Amino acid sequence: MKKCLALASLLAVLAAGCGTGGGGDTGSNTLRFVGPEDPKTFQPVIDGFQAKNPGVKVAYTQVPFDQLNATLQQRLAAKDDTIDVYTVDQPRVAALATRGFLADLSDWKDRVKQAALPAQYDVNEHNGKLWSVPIWTSDQFLFYNKTLLKKAGVTPPSSDPAKRWTWEQTIEAGKKAQAEGGAQWAFVPEQIEQYYQLQSLAESLGGGSGITGQDMLTPALTTDGWVKAMTWYHSLFDGKLAPRGVGSFQTSPLFTEGKAAFFAGGPWDVGGFAAAKDLDWGVAPYPYFAGGKQVTPTGSWSWGINPASQNQQLARKFLEYAALDPEGNLLTTKATTIIPSNRAAFEKYVPTLDALAGDKSKGVGAIMTYDAEHTAVARPRSVGYIQFEDVMTKAFADIRNGADPASRLQQATQEVTTAWAQLR
Amino acid sequence: MTGPHRGARLGRFTGRPVLVSLAFLAPALIALVVLRLVPAVMAFASSLSHTSLVTGETSFVGLGNYATLFSDPTFLQSVRVTLLFSVIVNPLQIAAALALAVLFTRRFAGVRFLRVLVILPIAVPPAVSAAIWSVAYRPDGLLNSVLSVLGIPPQPFLTSPSQALWSLIVLLSWIGVGYWMMFLIAGLQDIPTSLYEAAAIDGASAWARFWHVTLPLLRRPLAFVLVADTVSNFLVFAPVQMLTNGGPQGSTNVTMFDIFTRAYSVGDLSLAQAEVMLLVLLVLAVVIVQFRLLRGRD
Repeated sequence: MKKCLALASLLAVLAAGCGTGGGGDTGSNTLRFVGPEDPKTFQPVIDGFQAKNPGVKVAYTQVPFDQLNATLQQRLAAKDDTIDVYTVDQPRVAALATRGFLADLSDWKDRVKQAALPAQYDVNEHNGKLWSVPIWTSDQFLFYNKTLLKKAGVTPPSSDPAKRWTWEQTIEAGKKAQAEGGAQWAFVPEQIEQYYQLQSLAESLGGGSGITGQDMLTPALTTDGWVKAMTWYHSLFDGKLAPRGVGSFQTSPLFTEGKAAFFAGGPWDVGGFAAAKDLDWGVAPYPYFAGGKQVTPTGSWSWGINPASQNQQLARKFLEYAALDPEGNLLTTKATTIIPSNRAAFEKYVPTLDALAGDKSKGVGAIMTYDAEHTAVARPRSVGYIQFEDVMTKAFADIRNGADPASRLQQATQEVTTAWAQLR
Repeated sequence: MTGPHRGARLGRFTGRPVLVSLAFLAPALIALVVLRLVPAVMAFASSLSHTSLVTGETSFVGLGNYATLFSDPTFLQSVRVTLLFSVIVNPLQIAAALALAVLFTRRFAGVRFLRVLVILPIAVPPAVSAAIWSVAYRPDGLLNSVLSVLGIPPQPFLTSPSQALWSLIVLLSWIGVGYWMMFLIAGLQDIPTSLYEAAAIDGASAWARFWHVTLPLLRRPLAFVLVADTVSNFLVFAPVQMLTNGGPQGSTNVTMFDIFTRAYSVGDLSLAQAEVMLLVLLVLAVVIVQFRLLRGRD
């Protein structure tokens, strides 16, 4: 009898253990959400969702950006069901969908097309299916330190997109600010080693995105445009115009501390710099190369559902609120300065960004609207984007630290080719 | 009813000492099999397959992943970096740990305080140590400020392919030397002082006492430190990930970090498992040689 009881309880324990495997719907009231942002960022949208759905709780976990992709890869590959909803870097949608890390949302295709800004639908599609919903998009601006430029006698760039400065003009003015205005650095790009920011340099010189081919699995990194752009980038650090040894996302303090004359950053910096009381700054359109194309970075985060989640219905409800409902989408931008992907939310948002830092941020809304329509170039959609980005981050770091641009791009081509051979 | 029954059972066991010892060993053996051998076999099996990230299909590729690795310049460079790193860091750390252990077993004013200072970095989590050193190593950081006071030009440290590995070695030694020193201090304190007195009476110099008394009697703790330090240095990962990301130009891309990149940044688990297998073989080979060398003198 005792033996029977022991066996029964063992079976019960085992059965309970087995019950947690695979996707499904347990109807739990807690939704687990993972992303790279500070918890304060998502608190308003979480509060809004919880208020609309009494009894529901959204538990958010922050994983720092540098570790996010590796962490997600590790946990999603293990079919970890403790993640319900997670943030998806838009160019990674194809790779994540192919690996089975995203639940199919194709029944929302028409709704997302209608609700999102035009360029914000395509980035969530792969092989004709919809895998994630757009939450934010982005743009890059040229911020300048008014005090340093004034000391150097430099007239700051205009905020009018029609009078966009070239990189050559920017660096010339930056050098003057270093020599005569006391600036430590002429120019600091925020995402100093990230493809998101640096793609625009090669694109401006006609170098393309770096990926080509019908299946988007052929590297094209040794084009004239890429070599020229990276040679220019290399010279910034070699000539001590920009700093070495400071990582991406550690760069904005250099601007807020008044050490940099120019800073290339995103809408999130408008909010960040507005808080720096002693800093006198202005904003202008993101530069381009003289004789080249006007190109600005774009794209941001979408949200997707883990197929292994036990809470699919609630997860869909949360995504619906944050992406398709203008009220919810606008709430995602309440605690941080970022562009909402929802069309109706975008229209409400533009005037608030303009007024965010008074005179300093004046014109930013117009730049944003112009860029979205005319100059924004998204990152390429490729199943191999993850490998590509990893190789490129290292290549940019090396070029910045003194490696020869042409041969380092050649090496990156070989590395991408090797990595992509494994995809097939 | 149960008394005689149990007695009979025990009798059955006592007749077979092998079964009794197996029963006592069972928890450890089960843990060994479940936590070590099964994952190792799974990793090996996975290293023989390939999952296409495009079609999602898994196929058996035999030693294909190993062949891919041996034709991949990134992997080959990571092996070169790992071997160079090991050849420098292990003797350096052990020599420094031994020198400090001998020094700190002497009696002089402030010895305890100094010993604490050397051991202190162990209490700091590796990630925090890496964060502190990353600030110190920045081109405009603390170390360059100190150098400029001394009239030495600023150094690129982590941003230079020729200095980055050395910078990591300094950081890892800052953490590791105190730790290994503790084992050697324990070993030194086990050596009877009478042996030193006898050697001194025979007229042995300080160097002769160290060479003929200290070293031979310290061989066991030294063997442990040598093997454990070698293994731990083969598995260095956190500072590389936090400080250099394997760069500049792959100069700090140690095999452990290369495995992480393949498994979690790129997502190719099978290839990463193949690399794990090769790393384990390399570590085993080095450790076997070390054991042989140390045993040969017994």
